[in-house]
Amino acid sequence: MAVTNWVDHLSAKEVAGAIYPGVGTEGILVLIGFVLWIGWHVLQSMQENDKMSSLARKRHGPNAHKSNITDW
Amino acid sequence: MTDQLSALTTIFTEFYYWITVVLMFLIHVGFCMYEVGASRYKHHQHTLMKNTMLIPLVTVTWFLFGWWIYWAFPTGPGFAPSIMNESAALITDESTFSAKWYVPTSDIMAVNLGDHISGVFWAAFLLFSWTAASIVSGAVIERITTFAFGILAIAIGSVFWTIDAAWGWHFDGWMLKILGYHDAYASGVIHAVAGGFALGILAVLGPRIGKFSSSGEPRNIGPRNPWLVAVGLFLIYTGFWGFYAACNIPIFDLGPEYGMEGVTYWTATNIYVTPTTLSGITFNFLMSLSGGLLAGYLISKGDPFWTYSSGLAGIICASAGNDLYHPIQAMIIAMIGVVVAYKMHYWVERKFKIDDAVGAVAVHGYAGFAGLVICGFVLNGYPSSGYSVGSMWVGTDYAPINPLGMFIGALIMFVVLGFIPGWIIAKVLHGMGKLRIPREVEIAGLDYDMLEASKDDEKAVSSATR
Repeated sequence: MAVTNWVDHLSAKEVAGAIYPGVGTEGILVLIGFVLWIGWHVLQSMQENDKMSSLARKRHGPNAHKSNITDW
Repeated sequence: MTDQLSALTTIFTEFYYWITVVLMFLIHVGFCMYEVGASRYKHHQHTLMKNTMLIPLVTVTWFLFGWWIYWAFPTGPGFAPSIMNESAALITDESTFSAKWYVPTSDIMAVNLGDHISGVFWAAFLLFSWTAASIVSGAVIERITTFAFGILAIAIGSVFWTIDAAWGWHFDGWMLKILGYHDAYASGVIHAVAGGFALGILAVLGPRIGKFSSSGEPRNIGPRNPWLVAVGLFLIYTGFWGFYAACNIPIFDLGPEYGMEGVTYWTATNIYVTPTTLSGITFNFLMSLSGGLLAGYLISKGDPFWTYSSGLAGIICASAGNDLYHPIQAMIIAMIGVVVAYKMHYWVERKFKIDDAVGAVAVHGYAGFAGLVICGFVLNGYPSSGYSVGSMWVGTDYAPINPLGMFIGALIMFVVLGFIPGWIIAKVLHGMGKLRIPREVEIAGLDYDMLEASKDDEKAVSSATR
């Protein structure tokens, strides 16, 4: 339950320690955490694959990057 | 908290760990600078991103399951019974320090007025996890994919190091009871395990293109930016100092803890709840740093890269027993660790064609391993715990520190929880074609497209008139 009044909250017979919004929904929050974590790997892997194959196709030489060094 | 003294003690402890976490953040800053300084220009930005992204990956997984593993696994499971519930199973019951309280759905894994310690203690261990993963990061630069590194960082940072910490660092750990394992500031539980894990990956990943000549002679690559490397290592030293403080409990009454009737004895303790002092470990931290630098300078003939790294290797080697050593002992042990690390690095490189780009396996793995073995001799006979002194192999009480137990402990850290998992996971990733970047990309440079885009931007801006 969300805290709406600190005086009432702290003078209760038993002070509830957990004061974040949505106490009791921790299971759902953790599930969302897992989905976000795994999803990040999937998206990152797809991005990296695309970048690597596109760069590999161009077959630049070992010193080609030197022409791209900026002065600013 | 309803009385002032317990409030002061609790909030002091909370603040103490919070400060150590902030100090330890510098370790990661240092590792990033060091790694970028050691990489070549065409790989700089990817190298930085690879190390940086381990922060969120290890943090999220440490929240989801890493911290739970630490509290669940001290008994093995199955090796030695817990002193809390006398069971050798996973500790998931109602005990005070049970893993039950550290599942991610627990209400103390959040803002909770009834708990002032869990978050800062969680964070202190998390920063150790980042370090373990960051050690691996340096060894594999310029040819590993970010995807593979992310998986490997989670494996070492949120799984394998936390298992070894449960076994050999937790006050209830089976390695203390059966082997008399002692590793106050993590020669093994962070450094040897991460060094071994890195070596396992390197054996599968292979060297950077050009590292070895066609006849197999190793060539030197880098460091590209010695100033970045130097500042990075200074920051790692600074953060390491914070790490030493984080491994202590700042204020504890050992009388009732050890069941001594009528005895009150307030002191700082190490992670095993045995007494030490912040003052004493400050002597030893600085003397082992000095021993490492002195030996590193001589053995490398004044090479700055190796001298700085040797300062770190010196501390790492002495760390297992730096809660109890005399400062001169710490200095000598540091010197021995540096010689072992330096000699082993070049021997392994030449013999097995292992390309450890920043010497991470040497500085952390070999020096950490040597530190554990030396600790077994120097602290031979000291109790590994204050709870109940017993003998080796029994497991119901705590064996004293001894050379054999420490040698076996070093093998568990470096080989069993380090090298073997690193090798297996790298093999799987290699089998999926996900471990190493394409050859053409390694030659062109991971940052090629970014550099090219930057050049195009520069051209466009410099030719602009409005």
